[in-house]
Amino acid sequence: MHEQSLVRTLLRQVESIRQEHGGRRVTETRVEVGPLSGVEPLLLASAFEQSASETTAADATLVIDEVALLAECEACREQFELQQFDFRCPACRGNVRIVRGDTLQLISVDLQDTEPIER
Amino acid sequence: MTGLTQTVTVRRDVAAEAKMDAELERRRLAARGTCVVNIVSSPGAGKTTLLEATARHWAGRRTMAVLVGDLETDRDAQRLSPLVPTAQLTTGGACHLELPLVRRGLEALGDPQVDFLFIENVGNLVCPASHDLAEHLRVVLVSTTEGDDKPGKYPKMFRTSQAMLVTKLDLLPYVPFSVAAVTDDARRIQPELASFEICARDGVGISEWCDHLDKQRENLLAET
Repeated sequence: MHEQSLVRTLLRQVESIRQEHGGRRVTETRVEVGPLSGVEPLLLASAFEQSASETTAADATLVIDEVALLAECEACREQFELQQFDFRCPACRGNVRIVRGDTLQLISVDLQDTEPIER
Repeated sequence: MTGLTQTVTVRRDVAAEAKMDAELERRRLAARGTCVVNIVSSPGAGKTTLLEATARHWAGRRTMAVLVGDLETDRDAQRLSPLVPTAQLTTGGACHLELPLVRRGLEALGDPQVDFLFIENVGNLVCPASHDLAEHLRVVLVSTTEGDDKPGKYPKMFRTSQAMLVTKLDLLPYVPFSVAAVTDDARRIQPELASFEICARDGVGISEWCDHLDKQRENLLAET
């Protein structure tokens, strides 16, 4: 459900980038999601397919990188991948902060010239 | 013959603007002395009953207002409005509250300068976890009839909460529920979770809960 609203926001951002860079065709949009992003990749992909068709990103490929939850311990600075949503530092049992995997990140946008290069 | 491809690297949270918006609202409310509390749980865990008990406990010694979110009806607002300024937010179909609707509710209440603004979210442990309502505290209720193995199933909700209230304590003799087990499960996800045991109908745990709120508000105003 929220994937649709997120996708609309995402497409606005992609369009902004497209315009900033000379208005060329979007060929690929790459995003990153993790276990606490609140986003289901399949629903995201299908929402993108539906909504993008009405925009300048129609025909763009959506690449979804699924990452693990990466955390950093607030006490000892140890970084580790969370196992089974256990948020306690494996080294010192301290509380951690999430450094990756709890947001929907727009990673990159590929823009292609619409005119082929003449050789 | 293909053209050149340029990769524009962005690396940005798609929701960054919405989050900044919520943060600004959070600071605005703190600056004028209001502590915002987002109350979340499954349907029927006792959010409204908790708020009734909270309002009765303080009996005007603290100023509070409530925004209640539901898909339909104003049943909860009807219960609370005799006690404290209340506005019902009906989402129609949305399974969670979002900041724009909360803002409209605040406007409907006349943007009151209160010690506490409670937001009773739509009964749902899933979607509300991902939506910042400009709250200072997120409090999750788990009732004794829901099973003590639930926190692990809803990691985002428990991770983003500051306190957990185990409600309907009076039913403990009749259900296979361990307060220790649910607390352990929740603290695996959020080690800093404060926890309280409540029977709102009998007043059990209400003064501890209200003292906790007072302390949280005091800390909030001290750091603002």
